[in-house]
Amino acid sequence: MNRTLSVVRMQLINKQTYIWIPLLILGGAFALTLAIYAILASSGVDGPKYGGGAQAPLWYFLVVGIQALTLTFPFSQAMSVTRREFYLGTLLTAVLTSAILAGIAVVGGLVEIATDGWGMNGWFFGLPWIWASGAGGAFLFNFVVAMLFFVVGFWAATIYKRFGGTWLTVVLVGVGALFVLGMWVVGRLDAWGALFEWFAVQGVLGLSMWGLVLGAVLAASAFLTLRRAVP
Amino acid sequence: MSHVIEVTDLTKRYRDTLAVDRVSFTIEQDTIYGLLGRNGAGKTTVMSILTAQNFATSGDVRIFGQHPYENARVLQRMCFVRESQKYPDDALPKHAFGTARLFFPNWDQALAEQLIDDLQLPMKRRIKKLSRGQLSAVGVIIGLASRAEITFFDEPYLGLDAVARQIFYDRLLEDYTARPRTVILSSHLIDEVSNLIEKVLVIDRGRIIMDEDTDAVRDRAANIVGDASAVDAFVAGREVIHRESLGHVASVTVLGALTASDRERLAAMGLDVAPVSLQQLIVRTTQHAAGVSGSAAAEDPSATDEGALR
Repeated sequence: MNRTLSVVRMQLINKQTYIWIPLLILGGAFALTLAIYAILASSGVDGPKYGGGAQAPLWYFLVVGIQALTLTFPFSQAMSVTRREFYLGTLLTAVLTSAILAGIAVVGGLVEIATDGWGMNGWFFGLPWIWASGAGGAFLFNFVVAMLFFVVGFWAATIYKRFGGTWLTVVLVGVGALFVLGMWVVGRLDAWGALFEWFAVQGVLGLSMWGLVLGAVLAASAFLTLRRAVP
Repeated sequence: MSHVIEVTDLTKRYRDTLAVDRVSFTIEQDTIYGLLGRNGAGKTTVMSILTAQNFATSGDVRIFGQHPYENARVLQRMCFVRESQKYPDDALPKHAFGTARLFFPNWDQALAEQLIDDLQLPMKRRIKKLSRGQLSAVGVIIGLASRAEITFFDEPYLGLDAVARQIFYDRLLEDYTARPRTVILSSHLIDEVSNLIEKVLVIDRGRIIMDEDTDAVRDRAANIVGDASAVDAFVAGREVIHRESLGHVASVTVLGALTASDRERLAAMGLDVAPVSLQQLIVRTTQHAAGVSGSAAAEDPSATDEGALR
């Protein structure tokens, strides 16, 4: 366990990757969004203004997941760390940083609610759908999405590390083909309405739970791939 | 003396090449080994498999009597310094050493600091911005200061100048004397490390072709130098591994220790005996083992001395 915690410290050597760039992206997206809201407000748009800028750092977590493997796995091997220790420590790092990001989003959302959208009815963190189940639900959703992005990046990077770029491409194209097939099936069954209804019924909590399940499956498969990966 | 590493029938096959071919050997505790061989001979592959970074196709590897794969108790007693080690993108040397301190239980911070000073390593520059020699210095410091019970150095000196290499050899020997441990040093600069290594393991085309005490290896061959016809007369019936001639003078390397009567006969014939350097001997033996296919290299012996093991 001690060595697993040390892996967290090893991962956090990349402060740029884990901390400063995500904060910069979040801060940048936030500032730009507020500026746009201010322009809108000054030209007399009084209705609620929503923006998707808060998801910007979540996308970056895809990159973080990739770099966690490509930059640090070879070094961890030189530190005589087992693959299991590396894997658990890296996931723990992702949990920590995702929680920090989700925490910032929740604090931002609470401030937004308290100030009624920064005094200009502009919403960056506190999108109503995400906050439908309160602060806890918003935290869970932000956390799960960040984790999911991280795990997808990490999963893809393990495939690349073990089997090379060709196989990674084959797998990604295969996943894409499955999506298209799924869309075709839904279309054939004329089930688009039912599908969207299902999403709506799940709500923020249900979707977060499904996200957790998907993340767990990907993380488990990444571990099996990593077990035989060579630095 | 106990064996810290036991390798039995180790084979590693990549798609179209046999990198390691049914290799068996043991490594004794508290000994400095030289793992020598040409590029692509299989040195790095063997060390990677011993440290569970790579996987054997078949065969068995035991470290301290156990399998190393996913075995933290065994792995943390080993340190493998690679020539082409990658470091985290943002890492400064202090991060690399700080991390090594977390994972190697015998880490010696004072030794690390002394080495940083000796090797003049800039501590405030990112590792990815370091020069080749400074990058090697990072690896050397980790390898020495980790004081692991088994330390592998895979050509650790790339880009290090002669002074820095000498510092490495001196510190290694000093620290080894104070705290004996097992060191496996893979090197191309055979003569430079020949005074350091107690045992020689030569690997060629995935096979171990020499596994001996360094002193015994040195006695294994001699250079006979003098008039070509006299040299030919003396070496008749002996195993010749190399021959060079310039006009009437020949220099022939023969295998086998020279007896007292041999030496008397050599003196009587007016022939000189020159010692064979470890590097020469290994170059010759490796060429010899390579057989006819190595003849192109053998035709130009002066170039071979320089280049064969680089």
